[in-house]
Amino acid sequence: MEDKKEDKKRDKEEGSVKSDGSAGDPRIIAFVCNWCTYSGADLAGTSRMKYSDNVRVIKLPCSGRIDPLFIVEAFKKGAKGVLISGCHPGDCHYISGNYHSRRKYAAFRDLLGFLGVDLSRVEFSWISASEGNKWVSVINEFTAKIKSLKSSSSDIFKK
Amino acid sequence: MANTDEKLQKIAKDLLEGGEVSLVIGYTKGSIPQRMRPVFITKAQDASRLSFSCYAVQDLAVFLKKPEVKKFGKIGIVVKGCDEKAINALIQEYQLLRDDIKIIGMECNGIIRQNLADKGEAAVSETTVYDKCLICNEHTPVLYDYLVPSENQKLNLSGNIKPYAKIEELDSMSAEDKSAFWKKEFDKCLKCYACRQACPLCYCSRCIVEKNMPQWIDTNIEETGNAQWNLIRAYHLSGRCIGCGECERACPVNIPLMLINEKMARDTYSLFGNKSGLDINAKPVFGVFSESDFNEFIK
Repeated sequence: MEDKKEDKKRDKEEGSVKSDGSAGDPRIIAFVCNWCTYSGADLAGTSRMKYSDNVRVIKLPCSGRIDPLFIVEAFKKGAKGVLISGCHPGDCHYISGNYHSRRKYAAFRDLLGFLGVDLSRVEFSWISASEGNKWVSVINEFTAKIKSLKSSSSDIFKK
Repeated sequence: MANTDEKLQKIAKDLLEGGEVSLVIGYTKGSIPQRMRPVFITKAQDASRLSFSCYAVQDLAVFLKKPEVKKFGKIGIVVKGCDEKAINALIQEYQLLRDDIKIIGMECNGIIRQNLADKGEAAVSETTVYDKCLICNEHTPVLYDYLVPSENQKLNLSGNIKPYAKIEELDSMSAEDKSAFWKKEFDKCLKCYACRQACPLCYCSRCIVEKNMPQWIDTNIEETGNAQWNLIRAYHLSGRCIGCGECERACPVNIPLMLINEKMARDTYSLFGNKSGLDINAKPVFGVFSESDFNEFIK
């Protein structure tokens, strides 16, 4: 919790300087699950693979723990992109957390789109603990996509 | 019409006299003929105050969440088809016991828009009723203990009027245009939370906006917090909203909330085949999952 607060605070400070429309160095927040994606990202790190440093990772117990409010909060604090990632279907440490989150995000994504949020700013992925490569490619592709967005890209959560 | 009222009053009188319920929530005539208002009947002799007409716009199921009403124990309630779906959803979510409630279902052929009714409109037709009546499949409530048939003409649909047409229009717009549209609408929001209070399915005793450790939603009236509030309200109701339209009617600044609710109802239906409030034994749509759920959006 403390970590998360610190992260958010830092993101806000940095975000206000860098990602204020210029989109030159956009901030991306990744909400990941403890058991698969975080371990996957860890693997990428320990294997010395390089990936975009625009991403800030926030670890949660399970993708089922990632409340849609977190996405909204990240956008509000100035994030340009948000990535949600968890275990592959069938691999959830808590058996069904990712199935529940998939259902909820399918609907939440529609809602965001309807209210005018550019859906290329939200990305979802399943990354297992052994997929350090996939983590690197997902992050790099997502960062490239965010960088290519128009700087005036719409945002109803931010003034 | 008089006949409908008599039947309704007789049912309520019998229920109260027999001690089957200790309270009947229904409609009574308002101060002008075009307005109905909710009434709470506890004595059998007062049952003659009950009435029903095409002006009975309120969703009385909203009162079922109130502790003041809950303490009456067994309750009789007068409902239209749309309002009855709210009761089903409440039972589904264990907020209400089926045995604690006697449902007096009213056959309804459409409710006249309040702004037109105030101008004296008396004819129920596709141009005068709410959009929700045009897409209604439950003119007769799906679940009831007593049914009072309607003496009005069935609603005639020519198909020329497209209910909630703005949804398709918005769907075809670019993200920028949609954003601009909603920015303008949410800008009006006063954060009065009337939409929440009027909703029969917003029953949390402590709403997310009232939680301030951490403060998820800004309570001041500014763009960011307004968009957040309206988004989260709609999200908490997606797959649950039964489309009674009370939030929109309660909104003092006329934000078209039903566009969002109806859009989410359509989407959850196309994604998961779920329609809210039709079956008390069904599980809430986000309480269950399927291994074959929509997966295309995930890398």
